[in-house]
Amino acid sequence: MSRQVALNTHISGKFNTELENLRNSVLTMGGEVEQQLVDTLNAIKSNNAGLAEKVILNDLKVNAMEMQIDEECLRIIAKRHPTASDLRLVMMVSKAITDIERMGDEIERIARLVTKNKLPSSEIIKSSMLLIGERVIQMMRGTFDALARQDEHAALEVYDQDNRIDAEYKKLLKYTTSEMQKSTEDMQDWLEVLWALRSLERIGDRCKNICEYVVYLARGTDVRHSPLENMQQKLNQLSS
Amino acid sequence: MLKLFEHETLNVHNLSDEETAIRVEDLSLSFGQKQVLQNISLSIPKHRITAFIGQSGCGKSTLISSFNRMNELAPDCRYSGKVFINGRDINSRKENLSQLRAQVGMVFQKPNPFPMSIYDNVSYGLKLQGIRVRRFLDDAVEQALKDAALWSEVKDRLFESAHVLSGGQQQRLVIARALALKPDILLLDEPTSALDPLTTLFIEELMAGLKKRCSIIIVTHNMQQAARVSDYTAFLHQGKLIEYTDSDTLFTMPEYKQTEDYITGRYG
Amino acid sequence: MINDKIKSLLNPAQRQSFVISVTAFFSTLLLLVLGSILALVIYRGTAYFWPEPIYSVAFVSQQDNRATVVYAQIYSEFEEDGKQVRWLRYSHEDNPFGTQILLDEKDTLSVIESANGANITLNDGLSVMGVPVRINGSASAAFSEQHYEVMRKKVDEIDASITDIRTRWLSEIHQKLAELDQLNVARDAPAREKLNDAFHQWQSRIIAMENERDNFSIEVAMADGAVVPIALARIQDIVFPGQLSFVGKIAVTFTKIGQFLSQSPKQANTAGGVFPALFGTVLMVFLMTIIVTPFGVLAAVYLSEYAPNTLLTGVIRVSVANMAGVPSIVYGVFGLGFFVYTMGGNIDALFFSDSLPAPTLGTPGLFWASLTMAMLTLPVVIVATEEGLRQVPTGLRAGSYALGATKAETIIYTVLPIASPGIMTGVILAIARAAGEVAPLMIVGAVKFAPNLPFDGEFPYLHLDRQFMHLGVLIYDGAFHSQTDAKGASMMFATCLLLLLVVLVLNVLAVLLRARLRKRYLTN
Repeated sequence: MSRQVALNTHISGKFNTELENLRNSVLTMGGEVEQQLVDTLNAIKSNNAGLAEKVILNDLKVNAMEMQIDEECLRIIAKRHPTASDLRLVMMVSKAITDIERMGDEIERIARLVTKNKLPSSEIIKSSMLLIGERVIQMMRGTFDALARQDEHAALEVYDQDNRIDAEYKKLLKYTTSEMQKSTEDMQDWLEVLWALRSLERIGDRCKNICEYVVYLARGTDVRHSPLENMQQKLNQLSS
Repeated sequence: MLKLFEHETLNVHNLSDEETAIRVEDLSLSFGQKQVLQNISLSIPKHRITAFIGQSGCGKSTLISSFNRMNELAPDCRYSGKVFINGRDINSRKENLSQLRAQVGMVFQKPNPFPMSIYDNVSYGLKLQGIRVRRFLDDAVEQALKDAALWSEVKDRLFESAHVLSGGQQQRLVIARALALKPDILLLDEPTSALDPLTTLFIEELMAGLKKRCSIIIVTHNMQQAARVSDYTAFLHQGKLIEYTDSDTLFTMPEYKQTEDYITGRYG
Repeated sequence: MINDKIKSLLNPAQRQSFVISVTAFFSTLLLLVLGSILALVIYRGTAYFWPEPIYSVAFVSQQDNRATVVYAQIYSEFEEDGKQVRWLRYSHEDNPFGTQILLDEKDTLSVIESANGANITLNDGLSVMGVPVRINGSASAAFSEQHYEVMRKKVDEIDASITDIRTRWLSEIHQKLAELDQLNVARDAPAREKLNDAFHQWQSRIIAMENERDNFSIEVAMADGAVVPIALARIQDIVFPGQLSFVGKIAVTFTKIGQFLSQSPKQANTAGGVFPALFGTVLMVFLMTIIVTPFGVLAAVYLSEYAPNTLLTGVIRVSVANMAGVPSIVYGVFGLGFFVYTMGGNIDALFFSDSLPAPTLGTPGLFWASLTMAMLTLPVVIVATEEGLRQVPTGLRAGSYALGATKAETIIYTVLPIASPGIMTGVILAIARAAGEVAPLMIVGAVKFAPNLPFDGEFPYLHLDRQFMHLGVLIYDGAFHSQTDAKGASMMFATCLLLLLVVLVLNVLAVLLRARLRKRYLTN
């Protein structure tokens, strides 16, 4: 059975609009965060402190969005008493915006590298960082796309991408630690860099969480905390 | 500041005259020895859905019945205080009761179509107003049935008995009957309590559509229904108005403990 | 105590079947009573129409101790003191139109069914039993059915031309003469003389034709060979019971039923039909319904919708309910004293004073009878209507008020239509009661024999002041005759059967109407 959530088939037209608005607001918020990351990477590329400052300020907007969407979820639950797929959607939205807001926070931390002028001098680290950043942007796009289409297969594919990000992150981490040992005097700055790298990797993990929510929304199965193979297996069982 | 969701709310405690459909001032009402309403004052906004909730016997039906003076049918009814509709005191001697009831339509708990044809049911009120021109009646009946979302279902059997309709259709017919008189205010006294859940939702959707035409006041035992359909909600308890505010607030963070207990299903 | 005894005697299952048996016993008893009433009425009633066989009976006459042979019909045979007694009606030369006699076994010589004996019914209700032997007329010949038909046709033709002359010519001449009278034309004016001549001419023609008609006759032989001539024009029909097959008898029965329904009573309500009584009954019930329905409904509407809920209203309600229990003769006396003498007398004094002292409305008549019956049935209608009004859902009233209707509008457009099945129930009960009542009617306007129908072609067509005949009164009358005339008794049962049918038909009509109304105003 396809559990595609049809948002616009309720008898109550207003309820349709409310759910549609809710979903759109999450996508808007996601798009906002995605733009933040793009801006941050550009700021790193061109060492543009002004742009980074704007990203940090913009995070307030993301935070405000989270609060508004949360309030709307509360309102819908109180007034509409959603059930089944509607309830899953509202719960998913409520959880996903927490993750998206955290992504915003991680991005803000990366942007602070630029404002504090703590970018690593090594071009290799910088370019690897940008590379991982690009991959994370890809993953974010894929995640929000899957969310928009409620496509659990697309979500799984995106979920898969995190492994590569993790691998590259580990590689870059190894390289960075070896660089650190070469210049031990500015350990404080290196720590900042390490934190930023970790933040980048964490964004990937947050995307993974959202992908799990998408599966939950579309399938009604909780796939959190299970290895990818198991997940795949579960999904196949469900589709057959 | 960016706003993702649009929710318009008026402050019902401070409505301007243009925004007010009904203003109740210090209304108290009793049947014989039994005090049913105590010092109720409130203003009901125009073109909105206002719900009255509360336990059985809290006086909510009596309150809306005083908006079209249906309480007078009980011989031992006594009241004090005033009710204004469009700034007019409806309890004054000059008030034309027949016109008042045409202006303030009412729909009851149980669908009560008259034992006549669908057409005659809808044109009943108009005929009472002395309108006999067939063409005018035809148009008015069609319009009322369209407004009540019933036209497409009954247009081929207008002259059949209203009793052949299903419960939900009958209730919509009764709404059409009231709408035929082009009322400013529509009072709904538990309009869906005799209907199944799906039909209930259709009636609720109909109400949402009717907001444009008239101010709607609904009394309901069903809190979920009040939450779903209403823009503003008033909670009555033992003849007193406890809380009256916009429904979003009332159902997410009520101010008074009695309201909280009632809507959360606690023993209050 | 009895309860304990039953408990000790019977186990629970037996106790249950005991209760069922007892209740079923009484239901069966009731059914049996009902069934026997119906069976008796149907059996005795239909016997009136069935052609009975004719016997040739020889007996010794009590009066002159001579043996006599007669054609007779046997009404009943029974045993008295161990001897068979027959109750006969026979035709004899001295009294061809029937004499009744109770015949003991010892006087009876022989009883033989006659194959060619005929029962000849005359237009005035009399009948002759005998064998038709000859037909006299334009040509005299032995009797045969074909010949009889031919002659009969001739007589009918003459009769038709006589009526034709009467209606076409004579009535015109009468009218013209009346006009001349009005214009005060002199007695010997030529116009008048011309008319008088024409009148005498037509009149003599009629007399001639009547003579010609009366020449046609049949000769009927009695059992002892004596011959009685009977003019053909007097004869209504000739039936040969001994020669009829079963189907033929049924056909005769239906003809007789038709005559029963369409003719007037003859021979002091012992023969002929009951049409005026049937018509009178239906008309009276109809008028009564027209009177009682609005009165009853309006009174019930006031009592249940408008009257304040006080002690007085309660007292009125109880009185209305008790009115149904007042003996009907009391209503009759009231109708006579109040309606006929007081109201009718006053109306006469006011509007018909020129015809006094002959009363117009101050005498028992159709209208007063209907009014009395309406009063008698009023409580039934009131109680039933109130019950119907009480069953109208309050939601419907509220719905009507909420659309701006006043109380009167609500009652007229909503409440009364829904209560109409209840009202109909009341009217049905009223009709059933009114059609069966006799006692009050005999005081206020129903008579044994009325010369005219209360409805005819004369202005104002419906004559409310006329007395009328009633099936119930006819039965009552018949019950007195039954002591002396067996045939009259049988007609009484036939009338009973008809009255039952009338009540049944009226009830069925009303029930159908009520069912239709109920379907139309069905509320969920």
